[in-house]
Amino acid sequence: MLKVRVIPILTFNGLGLVKTKQFSNPRMVGNAVQAARVYNSRGVDELIFLDISASQQNRKINLKLVADVIKECYMPVGIGGGISSIDDINDLLKIGADKVIIKTKALTDKPFIKEGVSFFGSQCICISIDAFKMGDNYFIYNKLNLDITLEEFINDMNECNVGEFVVTSVDCDGMMNGFDINLVNNVASKTNIPIIAVGGGGNMAHFNELFKNSTTEAVGSASVFHFTQYTPLDIKMELQKLNKPVRL
Amino acid sequence: MIAIVDYGMGNVASVQKALNFLNLQSIITNDHKLIAESKYIVLPGVGSFKQGMANLKKHKLDELLTKLVIHEKKNFLGICLGMQLIAEFGNEPDRCEGLAWIKGEVKKIEAHHLRIPHMGWNDIEIKNETYFNGIISKDFYFIHSFHFDATDTNDVSSFVSYGDKLVSSIQHENIFATQFHPEKSQESGLQLLRNYFLNAKG
Repeated sequence: MLKVRVIPILTFNGLGLVKTKQFSNPRMVGNAVQAARVYNSRGVDELIFLDISASQQNRKINLKLVADVIKECYMPVGIGGGISSIDDINDLLKIGADKVIIKTKALTDKPFIKEGVSFFGSQCICISIDAFKMGDNYFIYNKLNLDITLEEFINDMNECNVGEFVVTSVDCDGMMNGFDINLVNNVASKTNIPIIAVGGGGNMAHFNELFKNSTTEAVGSASVFHFTQYTPLDIKMELQKLNKPVRL
Repeated sequence: MIAIVDYGMGNVASVQKALNFLNLQSIITNDHKLIAESKYIVLPGVGSFKQGMANLKKHKLDELLTKLVIHEKKNFLGICLGMQLIAEFGNEPDRCEGLAWIKGEVKKIEAHHLRIPHMGWNDIEIKNETYFNGIISKDFYFIHSFHFDATDTNDVSSFVSYGDKLVSSIQHENIFATQFHPEKSQESGLQLLRNYFLNAKG
């Protein structure tokens, strides 16, 4: 049986690991390579590393650092940040990334996403959906002043045949007050590809609620690992109580 | 020496990293002479079937590998796309011919109530223990939208359940290939690779 996945997320700002709140106020949380080493030794299901300021600062991801992070990992790794060409994807795959996570470029260049899928296969192209709520509707958070609804973006990406969505609630990011389960279910109902629910996990009850009330098969988290004593294993033990298949 | 075939289809570094961890010497190459001189050939790869075949052909690696693996019986380990390419036919993005070493066709996974790609850790049902001896967990990491529909189930050494029973590894004479990624499957994956390179006759 396919196991649910618990995925630590490392966010990097060009200088060090940071953790944001609602995508602002980055707080330094340490060293990426050391963090990757710890997660590998804990046997986590997967790891995500995102350079959250590469696109904004119009620079490429630091391949040397990413290579050092991946070197620590004997589990799958998804890498994102500033990806805007086939060469960028190839560079990451060559140093051992299993999936690339694309956001900014996906908002403006559908043909590029299609090209990436046809070259590397769906399973390799993962799209980051950073959504915020305004009134009753969800929109895609971006720094390009683009007005894109969640639904439009999902439809576009479904059409490109991408392999996975990392769904992050901007409102819940770093708040540790629980997940936006409506957002997760909203995305899940509009697509047939795997999704990773992100944003808001602060204690075991939050993870329990997420898996009890949604169909997601994967969760990503950062704050709970940086700022509490909980480990990915604790979350899996919690999910086991719900009879979810977990890999211990 | 182990030759990891570099044909521009991804994860060669991860495979080499796992082999380094096991103290096994390997080289990432598309050089015909180096591949021919090696004791084992590893064909990794992610991406589309058609692109994979095109890249092999571009460097005339299809002919070389068939000569070495089928006629000279050199040990072959295929991983993910490297397993799929040994089928007769693929369908990604449309129908095309594969290396045709093992009878069967690579088809899109049809499981309407399940999410595609099949992505994550899943436990396998082992049919042939040869290389699975001593693994501590049967969970391996899968990431694929297409599966190898093998004509002869004697060629199948393990299955994985996702909607249907899908082929998770192939074993036939000197050919061993996995749909999952041993190099990404932590302890179990490393154990499998250790078993393979200790036991495969060369």
